Amino acid sequence: MTPALEITGLSVSYGGARAVDDVSLTLRGGQVVALLGANGAGKSSLLRAVIGLVPVVAGRLVVNGRDLAKLPPEQRADAGLGYVPEGRRVFAGLTVRENIEVVVDAAARQRAGRVADMLALFPDLAAKSTERAWRLSGGQQQMLAIARALARRPRVLLLDEPSLGLAPQVAATVFARLRAIADDGVAVLLAEQNAARALAIADEAVVLAHGRIALAGAAKTMSADDDALMALLA
Amino acid sequence: MVPYNRRMLTVQLLINALALGAAYALVALGFVLVLNAAGAVNFAHGDMVMLGGVAAVTMAAMLAGAGWRLPGVVLLPLVVMVAGLVGLGVAALGFWPLRDKPPSAMFVATIALAAVFEQSATAFFGPEPRTAPPVWDGAPLMIGGVALGRQPIALIIIAGLAIAGVYALLERTQAGRRFRAVAQDRDMARALGIRAVRLVVGAFVLAGGLAGLAGALLGHQFFVSAGQGPGYMLKAYIAAAVGGWGSVPGALLGALLIALFETLVSAVLSAVWAQALLYLALLAILLWRPQGLFGEVVGRRA
Repeated sequence: MTPALEITGLSVSYGGARAVDDVSLTLRGGQVVALLGANGAGKSSLLRAVIGLVPVVAGRLVVNGRDLAKLPPEQRADAGLGYVPEGRRVFAGLTVRENIEVVVDAAARQRAGRVADMLALFPDLAAKSTERAWRLSGGQQQMLAIARALARRPRVLLLDEPSLGLAPQVAATVFARLRAIADDGVAVLLAEQNAARALAIADEAVVLAHGRIALAGAAKTMSADDDALMALLA
Repeated sequence: MVPYNRRMLTVQLLINALALGAAYALVALGFVLVLNAAGAVNFAHGDMVMLGGVAAVTMAAMLAGAGWRLPGVVLLPLVVMVAGLVGLGVAALGFWPLRDKPPSAMFVATIALAAVFEQSATAFFGPEPRTAPPVWDGAPLMIGGVALGRQPIALIIIAGLAIAGVYALLERTQAGRRFRAVAQDRDMARALGIRAVRLVVGAFVLAGGLAGLAGALLGHQFFVSAGQGPGYMLKAYIAAAVGGWGSVPGALLGALLIALFETLVSAVLSAVWAQALLYLALLAILLWRPQGLFGEVVGRRA
């Protein structure tokens, strides 16, 4: 199967300091890849570079045979990348329904259909569809950020710390939903502080340290209480 | 007789204040739309109002020269189109080349554009103030025994329709939703495939059209002159500051308050006092409530 996204030799710098250094990884549809690492290891920078919110200094981002590394974010989104940022960043003044509808490029009737699909997928949101997004709880905002990204039917879903600030039960629901999304054929790249939770749903895992890949392999071969992994995440 | 006259005067005064407020609201609305979309102040906004007035005066003179005496209201769509093009020009010169620079770059670039507009208008139009044609000509209307000028009534109706139209555009259309998303978080909107830069340029065109409309409407009562841009700019700025920086309903209310203040103080004291006291009131408000009178009414969580 051709990869959904192939990242090759990706580097990101902030004024001379390398935040991401020569990272390569491949995502396939149906797979969850956990991106682990300590605070400041470069997880967020990697995701932000993939979606185009920070410039790529070197490297390739290939989707469907096309290198996206020099394209603006909106064209990367069109190429099939979906992004769920750290802190959710839902459009606070828009209603739940509007948050989903606003990202769909289609005629009004199809947009309504897509919104209905997403609300069916996230029943918590369906009950709040006419509420402004700032009124939602953290968990609901997280679901909305995921629904909003999915509404564009991406091939690849990039998630930055989706469990941050969520109660354990709510985080468990979010992670179960992510596994189901991958099982539907979407490639999921999941940057997470909570290694145990991420590994539990991941097929593969990549551990970053100081912007470089320190460890990579099948998720089931890694365990969150392994000393070597613990040392990298500390 | 005295109470009757006082009542008539009060009603006339309020109608005039409302008409002025409606025109200021058009100015403030365009200012806030660009402020939200581009994340920066368009300093040439007041000059777009002035150019709308210039366009109205010039087109009326040209048409009259060709032997066409058209009612002022027919001119308005033409003025709006010309002013929309001016807005597009401001976007092309003051925003597009600087779209990835900090907001201060656009602020400075539009200060330069404001100067260019003012000097060009002085060269082309001359320093003398002129009058734009009335939108609705004729003797005052008698309503409930009170004589009301047609121009203020036309102004209230036209500005009200334009503002309602912008609201419908923002709230009911996909372009409007996208505009609001971009205004809240431009980077996030782009990461979700929304063409943010196009929407910002659209906001400039719309702001230009609204400013031009205001200029043509105000140009009958208050004259049109090349140097009046900064005054309008300041009104828009005050309306936005009073209304809670970036809030659309706040800016509209701010504009109405300014007009009410100006009209009442002018009636009791004088127009000069009205301007001076307006700035004092602004200072007081900003010291007392830096977030504006209506800031934070709509709560936002990060």
